[in-house]
Amino acid sequence: MKQTYGTLLPGMKLCDLAGKLIVIEGTDGAGRTTQINLLRPWLEELGHAVLDTGMTRSALAGDGIRRAKEGNNLGRVTQSLFYATDFVDRLENEIVPALRAGFVVLTDRYIYSPIARAMVRGVDPVWIRNLYSTALKPDAVFYLRLGMDQLIPRVIFSRGFDYWESGMDFYPGHDMFESFCNYQRALLAEFDRLSIEYNFETVDASPDARIVFSLLKSRISEVLATNFHRPSIPILESAAERIAASREIPAASAFGDHGSRDVELLLRPFTAASAARNGNSNNHSHVSGD
Amino acid sequence: MDISSNVRIGPFEVFFPLNSNAPAIKDSKKESSADEYPGRLFIVEGIDGSGKSTQLSLLHKWLESKGYGVVFSEWNSSPLVKDTTKLGKKKKMLSPATFSLIHATDFADRTEKSILPLLKAGAVVLCDRYAYTAFARDVARGMDRKWVRNLYDFAVKPSVAFYFRVPLETAIGRITASRDCLKFYEAGMDLDLSDDPHESFRMFQGRILNEYERMIHEFGLTVIDATLPVEVQQAQVRRIAKARLDAATELRVRP
Repeated sequence: MKQTYGTLLPGMKLCDLAGKLIVIEGTDGAGRTTQINLLRPWLEELGHAVLDTGMTRSALAGDGIRRAKEGNNLGRVTQSLFYATDFVDRLENEIVPALRAGFVVLTDRYIYSPIARAMVRGVDPVWIRNLYSTALKPDAVFYLRLGMDQLIPRVIFSRGFDYWESGMDFYPGHDMFESFCNYQRALLAEFDRLSIEYNFETVDASPDARIVFSLLKSRISEVLATNFHRPSIPILESAAERIAASREIPAASAFGDHGSRDVELLLRPFTAASAARNGNSNNHSHVSGD
Repeated sequence: MDISSNVRIGPFEVFFPLNSNAPAIKDSKKESSADEYPGRLFIVEGIDGSGKSTQLSLLHKWLESKGYGVVFSEWNSSPLVKDTTKLGKKKKMLSPATFSLIHATDFADRTEKSILPLLKAGAVVLCDRYAYTAFARDVARGMDRKWVRNLYDFAVKPSVAFYFRVPLETAIGRITASRDCLKFYEAGMDLDLSDDPHESFRMFQGRILNEYERMIHEFGLTVIDATLPVEVQQAQVRRIAKARLDAATELRVRP
């Protein structure tokens, strides 16, 4: 049976959620949308009904968030709550009904991106986790990871600098590039921490999209084939414990920003760190076994 | 600043500390009350028909006549958020959870852009409804009590939170005398308590009243007997407010 991160919304029943919830996470420019556009037709060809959803797509709050962002004056707490409103609206009206109907739900970002953004902006870590404790635990989270060296050109040569992607609300100044780098670096470090806390399966997003796609296909096939819960995930009671656990490994030293390290990550996602912490002898939950 | 080195920018001001085994990163967090700022924050709470808005408006006029710099902030009034709330209510799209979240978003915007900066600037801030309204309504709608309290963790604790306490029947009598049509969410019609809006309203307000009663002790609300004559209540409110203002030394005077 599916579980939430601690809070059950009124009227929400978790039994009979036969579908699979698959999350594609990653920083800006990591190719999430590209992968979802490849995965969806592939899954449908296999005969699965697919719902794809993503941040700010709710009927309730999507437009409101876009309008608020245009004004460039959305505070960090307000921003977090607006995103949470958008998320819960989609959770209740799209994700859960689709899972109940047996769909594969592919979500472009989930609760982790808004958590990372809030953390970078200095929002209380316990507060933001409790806020999202109503979320369903996904069947798999694929974290498309790009180092700073690959992230910068992908973003700036595809759509240029964006006020929010450059964290200009948080790093005020005149130098948009410097602000962009600081912000994306901080986000990346936060994602790396979250990948341990929430047991992401890290996928190196730097190779050609087709390589990433084939990797995702093989892992998603496994997720769809099994009706068992992922093994060996330590059950930590409170948000505070989860944070404390993830903080044991300093981001800067554990994960470099260099391409060379990313190559290793292609096949060996943070297994060393998470296995050591979990006492995990079963590599079932990783992209590929060691 | 290099955030990747795990430097945290101070967390937002705290209202209700969480009962969690908070890790070391929470150490920088301190409980925040309006009285720590140069300004003062007075808020009014109570069920519909308790007369709280009348009392706040009288307090507002009196404070202005005394020369205080006063700013008023109303529940559900953030220009960034209110269109979304309006859409959700009009189309009946709001669940208990999104009802709760969108109101918290509105409140956060007002806290970040108006309430908090004004308190820092030394203003007297008046709020018609505050986080307690959300605690009462959202829990009456079935939201988890602890989750909703955490949601408003960023709110500033008021200098005085006046609770206008009134029996359910008195309040209902005042409301039905002044209004023939109750709105969908106002009457709690989303909860399917009753097909009759007036009956639904009565049941919903009853639940809200119970929540307020619990909060008197939990948050140290200042109870005003709202069955007393308006003038008597207002004299009490002014006396209590004045005591808090006399103790404030950094208030900014109106130009």
